[in-house]
Amino acid sequence: MTEIALASPSLSTRSRKIPGNMAIWAAILAEMSEFAIMFIVYFIAKVHNPEIFDEGPTRLSTLAGTSNTLIMLSSSFFVVRAVIAMRKNKPRTCMRWLWAAVACGILYLIIKYFEYQWNDSQGLSTETNIFYAVYYYVTFNHFLHVGWGSGAIVWVIYRLNTHIYTQQEHEGLINIALYWHMIDLAWITIFPLLYVIR
Amino acid sequence: MKEMSQIKRINTLWVILLLLTLFSAYMAERATPGLSSIVIMAIVLAIKGRIIVDYFMELKEAHTILRTLMQLYFYVIPALIILVYLFPEQIVKWTTL
Repeated sequence: MTEIALASPSLSTRSRKIPGNMAIWAAILAEMSEFAIMFIVYFIAKVHNPEIFDEGPTRLSTLAGTSNTLIMLSSSFFVVRAVIAMRKNKPRTCMRWLWAAVACGILYLIIKYFEYQWNDSQGLSTETNIFYAVYYYVTFNHFLHVGWGSGAIVWVIYRLNTHIYTQQEHEGLINIALYWHMIDLAWITIFPLLYVIR
Repeated sequence: MKEMSQIKRINTLWVILLLLTLFSAYMAERATPGLSSIVIMAIVLAIKGRIIVDYFMELKEAHTILRTLMQLYFYVIPALIILVYLFPEQIVKWTTL
């Protein structure tokens, strides 16, 4: 990935590389901390309400949760392939991989929408109990991230179309790729906590 | 050659991530709840997180602090999953106002 180096002579070359730029890492670390707080809230609520949290995942759609996990992981993979294509100076191929990632983002949002509808038909809502309150708070927050993350990838595709990125200089693409991987990391943590562990 | 092997590695890691997810789904539906399934779930999360951090984000060879912070996340959360299962009463005591 595009790299910048910190001006610290004590660090070896290997340990100085930073993919993307510092601004995107500030955003990523802030968002990871935000999700960490939500996970801590989940753990605390779980120990105080063990029966509710044991029963909660059994009423959610494992199929929807699993499908969205497969989709998020695939979208991250497509983004990696897009970056590799750009490094090989293949902007058209890069664009195709990015569109595949956007398609995954949209599919994720559609599945989530139908999952919420399905929950609703089962009589589940934010007020059912504390498990579903946590579930809706965390997953809707993540839903928004996927929404604007997909929009950001579309922006990168537009920039690719205007030939702003080159084989040597495509930091904007790297930054969005990193941000998208962060959204993926949040989801792979949400999946076991809300859908699997009981 | 180097680029080809990088693509091959990324493709393989993607398949591993998908298989681990399907395994988790199987565990969700079939496994008997207990310490062993909790530990397996925690390990699966740790592996998935580490693959994305090291290879998708390309932090394996990156700045030490950044790499450590991101890798640490996928030690701490899996560890919390196990600790919350093992010591719920203790954590209730610590988190009761």
